[in-house]
Amino acid sequence: MTNTPATSSAVLLKIEERVATLTINRPDARNAMSVEILDAMHDAVDEIKDSASSVLVITGAGRAFCAGMDLKAVLIELSGDAGMGERLLTRLAELTLKIRGLPQVTVASVNGAAVGGGCGLTCVCDVTISHSDAKLGFPEVDLGICPAVIAPWVVKKLGPGVARRTMLMGGIMSGEQAYEIGLVDQLAPNRDALESLTNNVAQRLASGGPKALSATKRLLNELDGSFDETLVLKGAKLSASVLATPEAQAALAARMKR
Amino acid sequence: MIETRDESGVLIIELARADKRNAMLPEMLELLHDAITSNTDALAIAILGQGKTFCAGFDLKACANDPSGDTMRALLTGLSKCVRTLRQHPAPVVLGVHGAAVAGGCALLGGADIVVADRHAKLGYPVVKIGVSPAVSSPFMLASMRPGIVRTRLLDTDLIDGEHAYKLGMVHELCDAPSDVHDRAVEIAESIASKPGSGCRETKRWLNEICAVSDEQANAGLNASLELTGNDEERERLAALWGES
Repeated sequence: MTNTPATSSAVLLKIEERVATLTINRPDARNAMSVEILDAMHDAVDEIKDSASSVLVITGAGRAFCAGMDLKAVLIELSGDAGMGERLLTRLAELTLKIRGLPQVTVASVNGAAVGGGCGLTCVCDVTISHSDAKLGFPEVDLGICPAVIAPWVVKKLGPGVARRTMLMGGIMSGEQAYEIGLVDQLAPNRDALESLTNNVAQRLASGGPKALSATKRLLNELDGSFDETLVLKGAKLSASVLATPEAQAALAARMKR
Repeated sequence: MIETRDESGVLIIELARADKRNAMLPEMLELLHDAITSNTDALAIAILGQGKTFCAGFDLKACANDPSGDTMRALLTGLSKCVRTLRQHPAPVVLGVHGAAVAGGCALLGGADIVVADRHAKLGYPVVKIGVSPAVSSPFMLASMRPGIVRTRLLDTDLIDGEHAYKLGMVHELCDAPSDVHDRAVEIAESIASKPGSGCRETKRWLNEICAVSDEQANAGLNASLELTGNDEERERLAALWGES
């Protein structure tokens, strides 16, 4: 049985039996997170929470998974709104907490670039699947900004040492390198093979007892401090304060012109 | 014993006791501490070892020659101080491990943000063999590695190679040859120093907050090591190692 709930075109939500799929649908902007995208993701996640699904797959429409924050929105000279950065980052922080708190097992199916906040989104998920040619990473420091908002999730995913190295060095890595450091849990040999691998993993996960899955996930969340909202929201404020500095704004403006 | 230089915002610190495999003496750790604390404007730090080996740990001959345990106590205290200072320094710290990082030398990993090593470098904490507790390093190792790995590495006296350490997440980047390590570590530090704005510093500060090592934890680790110092087990094992009493 397929159920396609009424959602905005910013995200596509499909619920088939016990697997829900949320597709970020802004392919012309590499699925960068705008206010509209984040609002639509919040609504979709609320809907999934109350569904009968056991597994949620998050993926991106087109070539990218998610290019991170919408740079046009956070560049003050373009948006003319100095508060936009903090609003977007807080909304992202709230979304990550909401996804982590879902009773469903969450799977990030990284079809293409997963950058900055987009890569952070993969760390919030319980399982990350990608392919060798995907590009993942946290290049925030390359732009003079700080990935604080997603850092708590990256630390939980990679462990403190590897997270430290990955976020302080910046840059982008291949799916293969991401698999090597534990950012990706399952790796398809190429993009074409990702969908089938994702389906297999999702079906296997969905074959578990729903109560057992959600109880296990809840315990893991309790053990690793995933319910610490204060930390994630404080991270959003720190990211926003660094983002608003003249140096960061200048670096972002230079990146936009490239 | 310590040489420093500044290259375009990168503070390069070299352990300079090559004839002793850069084995640590109390005054060497004082100098290391001074080098770190007197350069708070550095944008990145690279710590390297001169000669064939990054660092062989404490100078055990000096410890064996001081049965009072004072030298060992000064080394443990100095090491804890240096690792804390590296962690608290606002700039990211890159450690370049060529040849070997053993015991106190390996403990410096706890103060590093990025560790580069050669594939065949030897790393580990074989200190219980000489009756010394590596507890001093445990709070910092737990803040930078997975707990199960820290437990094994601190209790097992085996040394592991760089490749294995990379798989465990102790080392973050591998070089094929020991001679490549210095250049790569400095290259990473330069790349960090060249990044715009305050992103790197704020990210390190925030990561220190998320993965905090409190003074209480650091002191508990140091005190656990200090309490054992000077006991018969340590004296006998050190004397046996050096054939002296």
